[in-house]
Amino acid sequence: MDMFTEFGTARGQAKWSLRAAFRLTGAQRDEAKWGLIFLSPWLIGFALFYFAPMIVSFLFSLYDFTLSAPDEARFVGLENWVRMLARDPNTWETLFVTFKFALISLPIGMVSAFLLAVLLNSKHLMGRNVMRTLFYAPTMVPLIAAILIWSRVMNPQTGWLNQMIELTGIHAVGMDGLRWLDDPNLIYLAYTFIGLWGIGNAILINLASLQGVPTEMYEAASIDGAGWLRQLWSITVPMVTPVIFYNLVLSVVGLLQYFIVPWVLNLGSGYPEGTTNFYMVYFYKQAFTFQNMGYGATLAWFMFIIGLAITVLLFWSGRFWVYYAGENR
Amino acid sequence: MRNTKLITLLVLLLLVMAVSMAQAQDRVRVRWYVGLGAGTDAPLVAAQEEIVADFNASQDGIELVLEIVDNAQAYDVLSTQIAAGNAPDIVGPMGIRGRASFPGAWLDLTSLIEANSYDLSDFDPALIDFYRVEGEGQLGIPFAVFPSFLMYNVDLFDEGGIPYPPSSYGESYTDWEGNEHEWNIDTLSEVAKLLSVDINGNDASMDEFDTSNIVQFGYGTQFSDVRGRATLFGSANFIDADGSAVIPDVWREAEHWYHAAMWEDYFMPNAVYSGSEIMGGGSANWFDTGNMGMITIHLWFLGWGTANLDASWNFGPVPSHNGVTTAKLHADTFGIMNSSENPDAAFEVLTYLLGERAADLTSLYGGMPARLSLQDDFIERTVAVQSEAYPGVDWANLNWDVVLAGLQHPDNPNHEEGMPSFLEASARYNEYGQLVDNNADEDIDAALDSLRDDLQAIFDAAM
Repeated sequence: MDMFTEFGTARGQAKWSLRAAFRLTGAQRDEAKWGLIFLSPWLIGFALFYFAPMIVSFLFSLYDFTLSAPDEARFVGLENWVRMLARDPNTWETLFVTFKFALISLPIGMVSAFLLAVLLNSKHLMGRNVMRTLFYAPTMVPLIAAILIWSRVMNPQTGWLNQMIELTGIHAVGMDGLRWLDDPNLIYLAYTFIGLWGIGNAILINLASLQGVPTEMYEAASIDGAGWLRQLWSITVPMVTPVIFYNLVLSVVGLLQYFIVPWVLNLGSGYPEGTTNFYMVYFYKQAFTFQNMGYGATLAWFMFIIGLAITVLLFWSGRFWVYYAGENR
Repeated sequence: MRNTKLITLLVLLLLVMAVSMAQAQDRVRVRWYVGLGAGTDAPLVAAQEEIVADFNASQDGIELVLEIVDNAQAYDVLSTQIAAGNAPDIVGPMGIRGRASFPGAWLDLTSLIEANSYDLSDFDPALIDFYRVEGEGQLGIPFAVFPSFLMYNVDLFDEGGIPYPPSSYGESYTDWEGNEHEWNIDTLSEVAKLLSVDINGNDASMDEFDTSNIVQFGYGTQFSDVRGRATLFGSANFIDADGSAVIPDVWREAEHWYHAAMWEDYFMPNAVYSGSEIMGGGSANWFDTGNMGMITIHLWFLGWGTANLDASWNFGPVPSHNGVTTAKLHADTFGIMNSSENPDAAFEVLTYLLGERAADLTSLYGGMPARLSLQDDFIERTVAVQSEAYPGVDWANLNWDVVLAGLQHPDNPNHEEGMPSFLEASARYNEYGQLVDNNADEDIDAALDSLRDDLQAIFDAAM
């Protein structure tokens, strides 16, 4: 089939689909109309508050646009994009920092949420409801307050974390002790700890999923002699893969947008040794602190493209490891 | 019948609301943005709201609206408002830093001053020129100055049996053995070491001093950035007359001294101690903890800055360096944004704030009025205001003379002076500060050289 034939076939199919759409019965058309009416608040909201600003921000990326002097904005074409991709080493350095942190934080965060959910789902756990409430409670503490509290908890001199470690015989207190927020080797671990404070939502979602796994499967596995670990690996994990997948996508997107913790603790200085110079911190500094909104918009769009690519990749990979009951393949 | 009454009542209510809204709309709306300088602390909010209410009640042509944004976010919020075409009309009080952070955003007041025949004779002409920026015009009318000074905790001096700092500029320091010393950086360092105490009661001049368990420090340049603290050694800037990035020798010397004070002599809190509970757990208000012997600070600190301090304190002179004393100065003004749609109304508000209410506002913010006619009874007014707000302090018997005398030693160039790409340059030197304050082994010269190179790159990009 040559190119023109292929094109003609595609056009024909498109026309056919369009005709099919108009070949609705009166009742179906009425139903579609009401569907659209009920969807319209969201559609209008999306168009006004998401889609339009996105288009405008893309236009910004083509301008040399300083926040405090919007009247002096100047069209520069792809200059900002060239600067970002070819001339600005910070782009790649901050991306590297972001991915490095994600590689450490993502597995710890996801595994912790899952295992805690398994624990909270266990029938052997005393006071399950109280425990569930307690594990979820930190999520309700405003993030900024939690970060400030953690910065004091991790203070090398008077923070209780070091005081407790010191009790075990490990030297932790003081300027030559464990400087969680100052040591480039500890900083990602410290940030991950702070992140674990807020995994209540992920625990909750995992928990709901665990409760949906049919108990008969465990009973059958028990009869067949499968132990707890085997049941976890061969029944629980496969059955909750849709939720693991959901948490994975959300976590990846969240980590790509990682901003609040380094900003509150260091105001985006990158301290220590540039290890907290995350991509979104760099974006914020360019767009708002340095007021280079044109360049900031370019950085934002690049992150959007990266995020989209990773999400597409995850969805593609999902067909190999995510189990959807009742799905035909 | 009941329904008819209800409907009539509702219609009347709507009419009343419509009329009041129409009346409000008749007024020109002027937005006053507070956040780039003083004015965001909780006790000041109500007082500023009162001034706004007074202004709105005094006339029916303008509706003044107050917007207070916390200082940490105020710069970003204002940037965003400007970009969104939603900028306020008046911004203030703000210092040189606030003004320099938004180059090109301020209205040249020259024509408004002329059109309104605004009387500037009550100001020092040099101070008026201070707000005249080449290429941008008269960007402000003087409002208040905030001299800096030494503050010391009397109780800690008494506890250690250490004589107080001198009470005036030029006076020597008499030590515990009766020896006289020039009140300079070296003397300050020695006194600060005696005031720095570990958990066992040893001070920083002793060999037994336990640097990992310090409970009290001797000195700190509080609430200041690298340029501000280095100015203790002399006035300078990171940019020379040719526009090149430089590290002035006197500032290099200062930075070595600060690093040694934090990491070798331990009479000043380094970043570890600064963030600890001993120094207020990251609040950065060391003096208020009662564990700090001396600080250098500005007039705007008074009142709220010692709200929790359960100790007596007093003012002293800033120490000299190489025979020269530099008491850095903050000078505040109010500006009108050039995007204001109602510059005439904004100017009317501005003249109200800087004229009729200047005495109230300067007392409120703790500043010394720029108006010559208000300077004579400035101390009395401040004492009265502070005594009412913070009755625990014997405000009348503090050494106010030394505070005023600090005005004779201002920094020129000012430590908040502008630089190309001001916000980016500021962020870079703040990174330097964070680096050296956190690391005992940092090579100060190398860090400063790196800072200079990076600043040069920032300046070049801005040209």
